[in-house]
Amino acid sequence: MTRAAWAALAAVLAGAPTAAAGDSHLVIVVGLGGEKKLGDAFHQTALAMIGAAEKKLGVSLANIAYLGEKAADPSVPVYRGRATRESVQKALASVAQRSARGDLAFVLLIGHGTAQGGESRFNLSGPDMSAADFAPLLDALAGRTVVLVNTASASGDFARVLAGKDRAILTATKSPMEGNQTVFATHFVAAFSGEGADADKDQKVSLQEAFDYARREVQRHYEKQRRLLTEHAVLEDQAQGALARTVFLGTGGETLTASEASDPALLALRQERREVERRLEALRARKAQLAAEEYERQLEGLLLELALKDEAIRRRTAERRP
Amino acid sequence: MSRPLAVAVLAGLGLLGGGAGSVPPVGAQDAAAALRAGDYGPLIAGLQSRAREAPRDAAVHRALARTLAEVSRYREAEDAARSFLARNARSADLWNTLGEVLHATGRLDEAAAAYQKAVSGRAADALSAEANLAVLRFERGQREEAERGFERLIDAYNAGGDLSSEDLAAVATACRYLGADDPQLFKDALKAFDEAIGADPGNLDARVRLAELFLEKYNGSDASATLAEVLEANPAHPRALVAMARVRDFDGAPGVLELVGRSLEVAPNLPEARVFRSEILTAQEDFEEAAAEAQKVLALNPVSQPALAVLAAARYLQEDKAGFEEAKKRALLANARNAEFYNTVAEVCVRNRLYAEAVEFAAQAVALDPRSWRGFGILGLNQLRVGRIEAGRKNLDASFAGDPYNVWIKNTLDLLDTLPQYVETRTPHFALVVHGKESALLAPYVAELAEEAYQTLAARYRFRPPAPIRVEVYPSHGDFSVRTVGLAGLGALGACFGPVLALDSPSAREIGQFNWGSTLWHELAHTITMGASENEVPRWLGEGLAVLEERRAREGWGDDLTVEFLKALRDGKLLPIGELNHGFVRPTTPDQIAISYYQASLVAEWIEAQKGFGAVLDLLKAYRDGRATAEAFPSVLATTLEEFDAGFFAHLRQRYAGPLANLSEFEKELAAGLALVNQRRPGEAQPRLEKARALFPEYGGDNSPYWALAAVYKERGDLAAAAEQLAKLTAINERHYRAHRELATLLEERGDRREAAAALERALYIWPFDAAVHERLAALGGALGDHARVVRARRALVALDPVDKPEALYQLALALAEAGDAAGARREVLRALELAPRFQRAQELLLRLHRGTAGASE
Repeated sequence: MTRAAWAALAAVLAGAPTAAAGDSHLVIVVGLGGEKKLGDAFHQTALAMIGAAEKKLGVSLANIAYLGEKAADPSVPVYRGRATRESVQKALASVAQRSARGDLAFVLLIGHGTAQGGESRFNLSGPDMSAADFAPLLDALAGRTVVLVNTASASGDFARVLAGKDRAILTATKSPMEGNQTVFATHFVAAFSGEGADADKDQKVSLQEAFDYARREVQRHYEKQRRLLTEHAVLEDQAQGALARTVFLGTGGETLTASEASDPALLALRQERREVERRLEALRARKAQLAAEEYERQLEGLLLELALKDEAIRRRTAERRP
Repeated sequence: MSRPLAVAVLAGLGLLGGGAGSVPPVGAQDAAAALRAGDYGPLIAGLQSRAREAPRDAAVHRALARTLAEVSRYREAEDAARSFLARNARSADLWNTLGEVLHATGRLDEAAAAYQKAVSGRAADALSAEANLAVLRFERGQREEAERGFERLIDAYNAGGDLSSEDLAAVATACRYLGADDPQLFKDALKAFDEAIGADPGNLDARVRLAELFLEKYNGSDASATLAEVLEANPAHPRALVAMARVRDFDGAPGVLELVGRSLEVAPNLPEARVFRSEILTAQEDFEEAAAEAQKVLALNPVSQPALAVLAAARYLQEDKAGFEEAKKRALLANARNAEFYNTVAEVCVRNRLYAEAVEFAAQAVALDPRSWRGFGILGLNQLRVGRIEAGRKNLDASFAGDPYNVWIKNTLDLLDTLPQYVETRTPHFALVVHGKESALLAPYVAELAEEAYQTLAARYRFRPPAPIRVEVYPSHGDFSVRTVGLAGLGALGACFGPVLALDSPSAREIGQFNWGSTLWHELAHTITMGASENEVPRWLGEGLAVLEERRAREGWGDDLTVEFLKALRDGKLLPIGELNHGFVRPTTPDQIAISYYQASLVAEWIEAQKGFGAVLDLLKAYRDGRATAEAFPSVLATTLEEFDAGFFAHLRQRYAGPLANLSEFEKELAAGLALVNQRRPGEAQPRLEKARALFPEYGGDNSPYWALAAVYKERGDLAAAAEQLAKLTAINERHYRAHRELATLLEERGDRREAAAALERALYIWPFDAAVHERLAALGGALGDHARVVRARRALVALDPVDKPEALYQLALALAEAGDAAGARREVLRALELAPRFQRAQELLLRLHRGTAGASE
């Protein structure tokens, strides 16, 4: 079994039900830096994301594409050339071609954005791209779960224009009017590459958790700098975060060894755990309809059940690891 | 709900720029120059001279009579008017002015007749006479006739024509009175005043009336700006000075009596000045003098409604029922619908912290006049003060509906609209009302301290106030100010209305500005002493006991000995006991309030030291029974006030002999030492600072030698000496947050965990929002085996709403489990797992709890 296949299996088995249970495809687009310092910073952010995706989240290198400022960068195996409107179109068309239904297509835009006529534009070498330019590219990914993260300034318009079924659109700003250089990208990538974003402590970082972490850290950054917050990030999945909570890039961070993945008892336990988690999600969704005592009674039962399953999984895993 | 602030909008109509001064019809430039110098003499002399030269010139005679009336020389004013009328029998031109003088001196029938002659004779100031007549009728309770008169002024305005500045001011006055029925007319009143000033920028009377209208609506800033323009043109304008004094009183600014005094120098009989002085004297608990002021007005005008009201209030506060009833009878005889009588008595009660009585009087005002919007406001505000929140809101709503231009009422209603954001926590003796964003953290600490204070103080004073006492904690100082005085900007930190306390939350201030724990204790002491004396405890004793109780509650709490206090003692500027109230109510210098607080606490301490605490209780009883300080001291303490002062000041001079003798040297050494510290020359700074410390060891200000020496010793590596300095500093200074934290660090480094934890606990009374302090307390508690401390710290950390809430909840659950509270631990670990269902350590704790294997033994 290839590494990518293992990652896919692990993603299925790792935990809570996920929106995209198949492969993850990551396209990173770094736009014009404007000045060397910023261009370097954008590039480093992209590399950090690639590193996290590959090493921590189990995304196959074959499924990662990086378009940047340079025509070529041999030091980065996934580098696919200069980011232009055409190369972006080709990269996303390629994902549409190679991916299957149920896969995750994850597009990350890093760079500068501007507003023209109230419309967000992502700055590329050559013509910039508006949300409308991305719309047909995302439409071609129907059947996949699509995540598009525009971390640029003045990016807010993307969430409004591109929102749709099975899509989560994240922007660093709430409107095209927030035009100052943003810091969202750094913190969003840090949610995957670092520690601290796993709010529910399930050893995985969901898209929602990454967004919450980034938004919080952006706020902290501005407070620390004693500056007024000039970027207000937005997540739009048309489901108040219900989709984003179940989207994990790659495995989300939790992995199984080959030996573990071939253990029927362990797989069964994981399947049972998933079932408990589903029931738990359902209970939480009904919280407002239940009397407090009844909710707590059921909650305790399910949490105990989940704790027992996790305990059994840990025991079984420990037995199988040298 | 958002209420448009009508007054603010109206203020935007704008006034003309600074006036050119009074522009009398004769000698204008000389007169204006004289008035700019605040000297009426040359103006009056000039007018008298012109009047002699031009016996038929109505304008000159009118200016003379009015100017004389302005400085309260009413008899001369009357003579001037009558003299003109005698010589000009066919002229109607001085009848209005004569009416004004007669009106001011209480000859109302004659005044009405004079006004009537001016109106029917179509005098040049007939519209002014019409307004004056309507006002007179209004004051006599003839409201319908008065309103018809005011309406005629509106008609005159609407008919167009060339209205003079005085005519427009008369229209404005009419609008002001009619505003009681149609608040939109208040807006028209401002517009008309604006036009009056536009027509004659020198019409200072119109400006003063406009300012009085602003004041009536508690719009101090616009009133102040308007009066500043008047006083720039005429710094001696008697009514402007009184109005400015009211603005200052309203803002809690110093110099109130000085302004009233300046007004009375120019116009010794000015009723507005005397009545206001009487109100101030009642606040100073000088009731006899207050009554005497009112009597002075009544001697001139026996039917003066404001004077009768303040006289009645003074008599009421003296517990002179017959005197009160007599004044009331006179007031209501003159005007049976005089709601303002009750409103004024209610306001004076408020000045003396008699809030329940204020409620009763205001209720009588609105019963007498259902359109007394001021009465509804006073009623509602004081119902809030005694904890009747819903009834208070209802009456404030009624007040606002009738008069939406009252800033105080609007602010208070806006604040009440935020009450749903507050969480009420009940304890055995308290209802704690804390903002939802802070309640989980603050309420447990407030509850614990409040109950401790209740038990301590109730036992000491043998008085148990009825429960629940309502404690409101405001995260915004502006909201606290609105709750206590109706407007933002009050300098205090806490306020006590008896059964209701209001406090700034620690979050309302910068760290180190105050100690919320000592403030709460202080205010609760007021609840006890006010209750024990049935609200009759004088201000100085109430404050003195409250500060003394702070000092008893915790080491370091309460006001400290300051350089300013010592200087006042040295210079003989401390107030004698008979005048100590003035230091709180009418301070003459900015630091006199703080000095008076400390002095009052020393007085209370001295009484107890000399006569025992029983004497303090007996004093409270004496006040409860209606005795004044001058009577209570001889009967309870067997001393006259003079004897007490002599003994007390001698005691102070002896007690503080050391620092008194060394004050200059102390200041010199401290300044030198601190300068050397700033220059990073600690070796040279040390001896200077040590000398300063030796000269005045009681000094614990933020720049005290202890703090600087602690840093010097620490830098030298002498941690024990550094800790000793900080311990001494925190034993004096209740607000020094960094000193408490630094002391805890040094103590912990030296292995004294118990004292380190105690220092951090004290720091929480200054600033409870620092997660790091609670983490340290949890760790110290754990090391000391103090499970209760750990649980409390962990609860605080959860309440601080940390980013990693599941972890905080898990730690709390763990602490509860270790404290043997399995049920609590289970509850909290479930909260953690609800947020993070697969949180491994929390799962493991849940399983241990489920299996019964978790607990203190683990």
